[in-house]
Amino acid sequence: MLKGAQIVLRCLRSEGVDLMFGYPGGAIMPLYDALEGSGVRHILARHEQGAVFAAEGYARSTGKVGVAVATSGPGATNLVTGIADAKMDSVPLVCLTGQVRSPLIGTDAFQETDVFGLTLSLTKWSRLVRSVEEIPEVIAQAFYWARNGRPGPVVLDLPVDLLKATTEFHGAAVFRPHPKPSDVSTDSTFCATMIAMLQQAKRPAALVGAGARLSGAVTELRRLLDYLQVPTFATVHGLGAVSPGKPYYLGMVGMHGTRAANLALNESDLLLVFGARLDDRVTGEPSRFAPHARIVHFEIDPAQLDRVRPCELPVIGDLAETIPTASAELSRVSLPDCSAWRAVACGQDRAQPDSRGMAQPTIRLLDELFRRLPENSFVVADVGQHQMWAAQRYRSDKPRGFITSGGLGAMGFALPGAIGVQLANPEATVLCVSGDGGIQMNIQELATVRRLGLPIKIVVVDNKYLGMVRQWQQLFYNRNYAETDMSDNPDFVAIGRAYGIKAEKLGPDSVSGLQTPSETGAQLDRFLKSPDAELLVFECPPEANVYPMVPSGGSVSEMLFEDE
Amino acid sequence: MHVFHIRYRNTQGTLMRILTAASRRGIDMPYVQAEPSEHTHKVTLLLDVNGKQIGQLCRDWRAVVDVIAVRAGAPLKEMMDYGPAWSTTPHLPPQAALPGERTQQALA
Repeated sequence: MLKGAQIVLRCLRSEGVDLMFGYPGGAIMPLYDALEGSGVRHILARHEQGAVFAAEGYARSTGKVGVAVATSGPGATNLVTGIADAKMDSVPLVCLTGQVRSPLIGTDAFQETDVFGLTLSLTKWSRLVRSVEEIPEVIAQAFYWARNGRPGPVVLDLPVDLLKATTEFHGAAVFRPHPKPSDVSTDSTFCATMIAMLQQAKRPAALVGAGARLSGAVTELRRLLDYLQVPTFATVHGLGAVSPGKPYYLGMVGMHGTRAANLALNESDLLLVFGARLDDRVTGEPSRFAPHARIVHFEIDPAQLDRVRPCELPVIGDLAETIPTASAELSRVSLPDCSAWRAVACGQDRAQPDSRGMAQPTIRLLDELFRRLPENSFVVADVGQHQMWAAQRYRSDKPRGFITSGGLGAMGFALPGAIGVQLANPEATVLCVSGDGGIQMNIQELATVRRLGLPIKIVVVDNKYLGMVRQWQQLFYNRNYAETDMSDNPDFVAIGRAYGIKAEKLGPDSVSGLQTPSETGAQLDRFLKSPDAELLVFECPPEANVYPMVPSGGSVSEMLFEDE
Repeated sequence: MHVFHIRYRNTQGTLMRILTAASRRGIDMPYVQAEPSEHTHKVTLLLDVNGKQIGQLCRDWRAVVDVIAVRAGAPLKEMMDYGPAWSTTPHLPPQAALPGERTQQALA
């Protein structure tokens, strides 16, 4: 006979879980009581949001299911932002929440919330567990839905009395879903249509999104793109899926995408979309998105098709299957030569000039940091201007190498996210880039970094504003900087040192000499190679802007550039 | 107005996920009927939606884990009769006789 809590942990082990992130409390206490000897290592965060973001960082960097644990009531509600983040960015996540005793559910008991109802629209699947006997089956289902199809978050609500109850345990369950009539895997018949469309196209282009790396199909996709040689660009979550050195690769597309990528998208007459959901940060005004293009949309989640713009040819299925099928058929036919179009789209006259304005010091710092990163490294970015500069300058071809909260844009993600990434990849260099706003949202996780001795390299880009909001206020609200002033920021170096983290400051003048051997260059080398956690505060010009920028509701043809 | 017939396995939260797909878009639901149907369940919804919303809703519903099938159709007359009744029915229940002013204030 085992207690429900023991059964939960045994089933987690059967699912390959060896690490979970959480914060204890009353209703989840029996699970914590059973941890010793369970084989599951628990990482104590300092806020449940830190725990769930860390679980996400673990999952985003590995593709494995991240597990977050919280108690009932406020513990569970503190997970909600992370659950929403996982849903938007297709992160496989299982959240275990404690719940009050079964007879008290629905009575507004102490620390009771309807977390099942609260997270219904944010989860792929969820369950309020009703008997200790159903725990194995429920956990098997939870992990199945978190991993399969389009990955996403799952919540299991565990009443405390069931965690204490005992039953015979006959081993972990295996879940086999009912086949859905609508689960249509596209067979190779799509290829004939796609080939016909490619043979008619004069200006084909390719857009690569998160699905390319989530599917594990990056190698096959790169092979296909090498064959097609069409101008190619990526969403923020597709960065790293295409080798940046390829002559046909134009960088990130969308609101802060490169000039060349946005122009090519706007001019294309055939757009091959690989695992991107065409969200509004990429499309701009949907009615003016790729106005001349017919769309072929490779996508595992049928709900993402035609959502923003109708596609002419949907290719529904796992990219790991559909891309090799497409490649095999394409290799048998000849396609029109699009070298003239490629020369225009990828030409030097469309290349973006380097920033000359106030953003220059920050961009140069990021360039120098990224240049110094070893091959086995990750960049975890928070949300804001620094995120966009980091995405624009990221040059690695590591598919899971650039990690950020994209769809939800949740500030405070980077520091706990980096914790999860470092724990999942202990030999890697993990560079956490955050703004002065975002770092304060989960700054308590410096304690987690310190306790675990994680050698995370944390850069705080401190412009003493909520920079991205300030930029919009400058450009669209007549410079009315309402509630974006952070000029009274605390001393981040002192805070870092108070948490036992080595910390130092770097000013904008320090980066000017980085092109030649310099004290600052040596400082960055020491910073990145340190065996310990390090915090570097970069005080940068306060009113720098991210360019290019497509205004919200605009089309990519209305890009704003520096000096406009 | 359009009618949608959705067949689903009546597991925890499935009906709520189906309804949430409409409610999150601010779409009123003047007619909803859920009932057992052979070995599964079905829900019939009457919604005032445009063509784009029909496509979005059907795709969202099909993505719900335990939804089996989605079919759209034209509304039956008796369903349409619910529409006007829904909009004219007061949303608050009729007040019972209350013992006193303080109780009324507490219930306000």
